Amino acid sequence: MATATATTKKTVRINGCVAAAQAAKYADVDVITAYPIRPYTATMMALAQMVANGELDAEYIVADSEHSQLSIAHGASSSGARVFTGSSGVGVTFAYELYSPISGSRMPVQMMIADRTLDPPGDFGSEHTDALSTRDMGWLMGWSCNAQEAFDNHLMAYRIGEDPRVLLPQMVCQDGFFVSHITSDVELPDPGQVKEFLPPYKHPYPLDPRHPVSHGPQIMPEQGPPLQLERARAMEESMPVIEEVHDEFAKIFGRRYDPWLEEFMTDDAEVAFFMQGGHAVTARFAVEHMRERRVKVGLVRLRTIRPYPTDRVNEVLSKFKVVGVIETNMGLGSVSSGGSLYAEACAALYESSQRPLVVSFMAGLGGEAIVLKEFYWMTQKMTEAQKRGKIEKRTHWVGFEE
Amino acid sequence: MSTKGTRIPERLMITFGGITPAPSQEKGQDLFPTGNWRAIRPVYRDKLPPCNNACGTNEKIQGFLDLVKRGKYLDAYALIKEDMPFPSVTGRVCYHPCEQACNRGQYDEAISIRAVERFLGDLGQALARDVVKAGPPNGKKVAVVGSGPAGHSAAYQLARLGYQVTILEKSPKAGGLNRGGIPDWVLPQHVLDREIERLVELGVTIKTNVEVGKDVTWDDLKKNYDACVLAVGLTEPNSVRAEGEDKEGVLYGLPFLRDIGMGTSKVKLGDRVAVIGGGNTAIDCAREALRQGALEVTMITVESNLQEMPAVPEDLHDMLEEGVELLHGRAMTAVLGNGRVEALQLYPARFSGAINASPININREAPAERFVVDNVIIAVGQHASLNWLPDEFKNERGTIKIDSFGRLGDTNFFAAGDVVQLGSGQPLMVVNAVGDGKRVAFNLDKVLCGEPLQPRSVTVDVLFDLNRMNMTYFPHFPRVQQAMLPPTSRRKTQEEVIQAFSEEQAVEEACRCFSCGTCNACDNCYLVCPEPCIVRPERSNGLYKILVNYCKGCRVCIEECPTGCLEGVPELDFDTGVVRMDTAFAISPGLHGRQAEELRHLAERPAKNI
Repeated sequence: MATATATTKKTVRINGCVAAAQAAKYADVDVITAYPIRPYTATMMALAQMVANGELDAEYIVADSEHSQLSIAHGASSSGARVFTGSSGVGVTFAYELYSPISGSRMPVQMMIADRTLDPPGDFGSEHTDALSTRDMGWLMGWSCNAQEAFDNHLMAYRIGEDPRVLLPQMVCQDGFFVSHITSDVELPDPGQVKEFLPPYKHPYPLDPRHPVSHGPQIMPEQGPPLQLERARAMEESMPVIEEVHDEFAKIFGRRYDPWLEEFMTDDAEVAFFMQGGHAVTARFAVEHMRERRVKVGLVRLRTIRPYPTDRVNEVLSKFKVVGVIETNMGLGSVSSGGSLYAEACAALYESSQRPLVVSFMAGLGGEAIVLKEFYWMTQKMTEAQKRGKIEKRTHWVGFEE
Repeated sequence: MSTKGTRIPERLMITFGGITPAPSQEKGQDLFPTGNWRAIRPVYRDKLPPCNNACGTNEKIQGFLDLVKRGKYLDAYALIKEDMPFPSVTGRVCYHPCEQACNRGQYDEAISIRAVERFLGDLGQALARDVVKAGPPNGKKVAVVGSGPAGHSAAYQLARLGYQVTILEKSPKAGGLNRGGIPDWVLPQHVLDREIERLVELGVTIKTNVEVGKDVTWDDLKKNYDACVLAVGLTEPNSVRAEGEDKEGVLYGLPFLRDIGMGTSKVKLGDRVAVIGGGNTAIDCAREALRQGALEVTMITVESNLQEMPAVPEDLHDMLEEGVELLHGRAMTAVLGNGRVEALQLYPARFSGAINASPININREAPAERFVVDNVIIAVGQHASLNWLPDEFKNERGTIKIDSFGRLGDTNFFAAGDVVQLGSGQPLMVVNAVGDGKRVAFNLDKVLCGEPLQPRSVTVDVLFDLNRMNMTYFPHFPRVQQAMLPPTSRRKTQEEVIQAFSEEQAVEEACRCFSCGTCNACDNCYLVCPEPCIVRPERSNGLYKILVNYCKGCRVCIEECPTGCLEGVPELDFDTGVVRMDTAFAISPGLHGRQAEELRHLAERPAKNI
């Protein structure tokens, strides 16, 4: 059991990494598996201190690589433990083999990701490509835009992933440095609240020598599709669970999030940004500024990308004349020859009766900040397209064009 | 919702996340019958170890060594006793054909099987009550003529089968060759006495001083018993047909030993003794002569070197250690002396053909040698005394004529031991006589039960080839040597020359056994199977089970079986336990099943014009 020292809720000034570590502590995780890589390492440093100080009673296993780290997480979860792990950048991709087996065996492992650009060369700035490269592996996935949201998302993800109707692993993502290393006020709840919100993890068929079961046995090709269908069903059926859990979170902790999309100043917006993660904080400023200049611009921030809220995206983005997708990820040779979020937005809009124009902005790559000036520039590109009734081109490389 | 309206057909329904009962559990592998990937099936097929095969009575040697290895001495003793009534005797006297056959001999040194047998035999001697019980009485009476190894063995097995057995022994003491042919310093009398007590405890009656042909007749035997086993042995020594063999001081091997064994010897040997003959009895005589006071003992053989001598090499070695001299390539043509032996006349000689199996060529053109001695012991074999036997049952070899089951015609008489084996090509040894007695007892039982006697038709696979085992599991390790009395002190005493194994030595030696071709529950297959296809419900010998529904035939267990007991058998050889699918990847008749059905009937269709 956790020996959380806080007895009532309190506000602390911590960064995203520490917020994630705090969430793991409040969730009373049983097993932590770590392997260092910037920027997520700070989370494991914080957890190591908590375990060493006796604040948290958990097995803390330092693996020899991310592949082992995730393998340990898989095994620990199979035995019925609540598991916390994490990584960044190439660490995320090194463990790739394990993502499908973990979700395929329906183990609700939780992985914290502080994004980092994939090599080469060794750029450690934030970029969503690391986690997004695994987006179709059967993990629940979404981005937080600040430390508080990160804390809250971690708690909610456990609750959703461990729900017997779901039983899927979760990647709880935050931008490296922009969220992971910038401190802000985070309200830590009363442990009693967490206890009420997050019941103990119980897998229906844990590995137990007294009741032997086989996890991940060899199967026949024709037995594969039913399992895939079941995994797909779990992903779809998690959607009502996600909504329920957000409601309940709001009731218990008093913070309400839209599970799928955050809309900012979209009521009468004609053009809108569509994006994920920490750059949305800057985007809000930019939108406010431009609103002062009577530009009808809004912001839609995707909070959960897996499962993808297709209908909600369709409904919300259809309100606008132009949608500007801010990628913060690489989709080399993809639909837009830019990022991968464009395709997700467009596919959701395909069935809309009033499809907006969609344009993709390659910005926030390699850990570069997206500055206000660039948001203005992007807004200008959208309003021009609105006037023209036609986009200039599908993808703009922000900062590299006039 | 893409999964809305989907339905998984019942045949493909699997549990949550593909999590199933463990493959080690009952039914745990039904869902994923990957056994159909298999082309080769591992099968436990115990072969006959060469030791068991070579043993004259087919003792389960690998079996008792394995039990000794596990510390189950009493079980090991009981296992020996199935085939061998007196392991304490053969544990001392046996010429151990098993050790000559032992595969370990090709690798480093053969297992010291006889020493382990002696360890178990002595354990049996120490028991207050033997583990063997007489069978429920069947009311039938059998006479066994002779109490030597064959007679003892037949009587023992018949008693276990429930017969009322009477042994008729012409000597004053039971034991036959065990007593009369084996010196005390090999087999102490008390050891044999205890084994004979065990036989009496089984309910066997032993009548000594009863000689067939004199005290009982053929007709008496026929009249008074339901059946009879003739195990009279070879009592009459062979002559070398030399002049003057009747002189005083000329002795014959077996009577010389027998009189000492029976305690009736009046022989007083002179200083110089020659022994004629190169076999095991000759060796025993030479060594006994030393113990009877001779100072110089010379063994004179037609064989031209040690290797040609029909003797057990270690006995020969021990004899030479004790100081017996050898004179090879000579034949004795006359015993010289005035009424009493003074010297021998020797000529160079050799076998005209095969060693010990062809007439002797004596070169009388060479100058005769005069070899001065005080006594000569002639030990060139012996023959039977069968005056009492009806002529129809005598053969040209001077032995009893029997069929392949040891039976005399269609009578209820059977014969076993040296009296039938002489000249048959079988070496005459205790263990062969014991085996003979055992087989004859079982054949006799069948005849009295009215069952047909049939030759064994199953071919026996004896594992001789080390390549059939996985030798990487067997590090080289020397044989544990039995301690011996030093040659200088032992040559004058009747004390047992070869010392017993301690418990630790017996276990250490048993651990060296390869268990050739026979499962010894080493757990290797169980451990190396990459999936739980091999189950071990009990940790005891030979009780592994291969879950054929699941085993993919990877062969790892077969390759890694140290003993070579696991074999890969082509799957097509089986029609049971088969998980043969329509196609390799179908668990049920579906699309693949239909394709397979079509393929199956392909041959019946007319050929297409291409």
